[in-house]
Amino acid sequence: MNKKIRLKIRRHRPEDTGPPRFETFTLTIDADISILEALEMIQSGQDPTLMFRRSCHHSSCGTCGMLINGEQRLACVTRISQLKEGTITLEPLSGFPLVGDLAVVMTPLYEDIGEQWDYLREAEDLGGTNLPEGIDRFERFEDCIECGCCVSACPVAGEEKPFMGPAALAALNRELQKRAGKGARALLKQAGGERGERLCSRSLACSRVCPTAVYPARHILDLRRRLRGDGQKP
Amino acid sequence: MEHIIIIGGGGAGAALAHDLTLRAFQVTLFEKGDLLSGTTGRHHGLLHSGARYAVHDRAAAVECIEENRILRRIAPQALEQNDGLFVAVAPDDEAYGTVLLDACRDSGIDATRLSATEALNLEPALTPEIRGALQVPDATIDAWRLAMHFFATARHNGARLHPFCEVQWIDTRAGRVTGVEVLDYRTRKTRTVKGDLVVNAAGAWAGRVAALAGIDVPVQPGPGVMVAVEGRATNMVINRMRPAGEGDIIVPQRGLSVLGTSLWLTEDPDEVTLPKEHIARIRETCSLMVPAVGEAPVRSAWSAARPLIRDAGASSPQQISRTFESYDHAVTHGVEGFVSLLGGKATTVRAMAEKTADLICRKTGHTAPCQTHTTPLLPWRRFFAAPPGDGPSRSRA
Repeated sequence: MNKKIRLKIRRHRPEDTGPPRFETFTLTIDADISILEALEMIQSGQDPTLMFRRSCHHSSCGTCGMLINGEQRLACVTRISQLKEGTITLEPLSGFPLVGDLAVVMTPLYEDIGEQWDYLREAEDLGGTNLPEGIDRFERFEDCIECGCCVSACPVAGEEKPFMGPAALAALNRELQKRAGKGARALLKQAGGERGERLCSRSLACSRVCPTAVYPARHILDLRRRLRGDGQKP
Repeated sequence: MEHIIIIGGGGAGAALAHDLTLRAFQVTLFEKGDLLSGTTGRHHGLLHSGARYAVHDRAAAVECIEENRILRRIAPQALEQNDGLFVAVAPDDEAYGTVLLDACRDSGIDATRLSATEALNLEPALTPEIRGALQVPDATIDAWRLAMHFFATARHNGARLHPFCEVQWIDTRAGRVTGVEVLDYRTRKTRTVKGDLVVNAAGAWAGRVAALAGIDVPVQPGPGVMVAVEGRATNMVINRMRPAGEGDIIVPQRGLSVLGTSLWLTEDPDEVTLPKEHIARIRETCSLMVPAVGEAPVRSAWSAARPLIRDAGASSPQQISRTFESYDHAVTHGVEGFVSLLGGKATTVRAMAEKTADLICRKTGHTAPCQTHTTPLLPWRRFFAAPPGDGPSRSRA
């Protein structure tokens, strides 16, 4: 396999005067690579100052969310072969302040997520009949990698919008499932508050773009049912 | 207090920024990419018990178990603490299990021998062919979130962190290092930053950074391949019970099983090659321990360059020690004000920072003791609570 691909990348930095421009890079690839690998080839071979975020390369860190042909996706697990033929367009995630080029500031995502909310949960039952000595239960990280794809895709969330957004509501619902009593009531109040569930427009875009199958819309539906049950919302 | 400039925003730079701010130094860190865009984010995600090194690299094994215990205390939210197993499958030499058990005990690692049935009761996805197992205190790290805990805490304590800023020149004109020249990718402008001491914490890229000061350091990038497959096949880390080699570990993480790894040596840390044959071999050898991972679809495969310390005497790359060293270039090259931190691994970043900060204290005449082993880290989410860019403007005495 020896194939030429073209990537049209939005180049803009907050201090630039003038409108954002696109720059097109051409690469010759000899295998089906990821968008992230393509960006790394451009960075090492053509323009070291191209700005993008990346870390784990396997959809665990959540840093490389971007718009790939207009859709919110992770660059690390999006392969050239999954995209339609022709020039590939890359833009930063919409709804977040820009650092430069494809890199954005993730602060809005975290605005309504409690920094102490538990990131661990009980692991799925894999059929073991015993636990190792010294281990009370098998635990694992939550599926949400806080990549921001859902917030960017949501028609009513994003920077300076009143809605806390699907990532925060999904995280809130996960946290709610681990708490009881007073702690749970405070969370439900937050979900039912001014920035909460009531602003969701039910577009389901969040679940459609989520790269790690968190399906935030389901969590929002859960919360809606609970809030109604609690009589906090007509 | 002295102003310390750190070059490199990986795990080592993160832990060092944290340690130095706790000791009241002024800290500025530059990273040419985003924070954690190099080796740190790409590592396997194993919190080593040290057992992997116990037989052939005792120093690294002892470092690992000490740090393993500390990280469980100071950053529990960045770890899946489910322990690990070493499993023997044919044709492994069963006598190695005894050698490993003894070496673990000599290194201070709690290891327990399990029968094949006991191991299968814990992890039914293991091949029924296993001959025996050893339980060890391995764990899974969220590579990015653990390091972000250090960055969040360092920034909270006043460290100024500058991603997308490439150090292009180290000023040695005065016969000692007095500062750096930095290209800020966001503004496309260069600026000069004065410092009392510059630390090269660039990991696999440390050779390039040292060269900016005309110094050669013995770093040897050692890439390896990792393969993440769909499905959490086990809850415990699964290691092959034989001397360190290729395709001998499966690290569960979220809904994935991450298989690894290989090792070769290179001069260019930006080498992004991903040898296909490594992926196939790793899947095949890992499936000897857990058959399901051989069939599972691949989510992603990637390579990462370990920051090895060159060792011409090692008989194979796997025999190169995974320990670390801080080099005072006043001693090694007669260049004052410049320190390089080489080697090490994700499990030991805190200790790497402690040793380097101790050296910096000796050089600057301070006696502030290390506090990082007892200081719980702030959650990674705190990093995003503050405005991006510089840390709080609060200046330190």
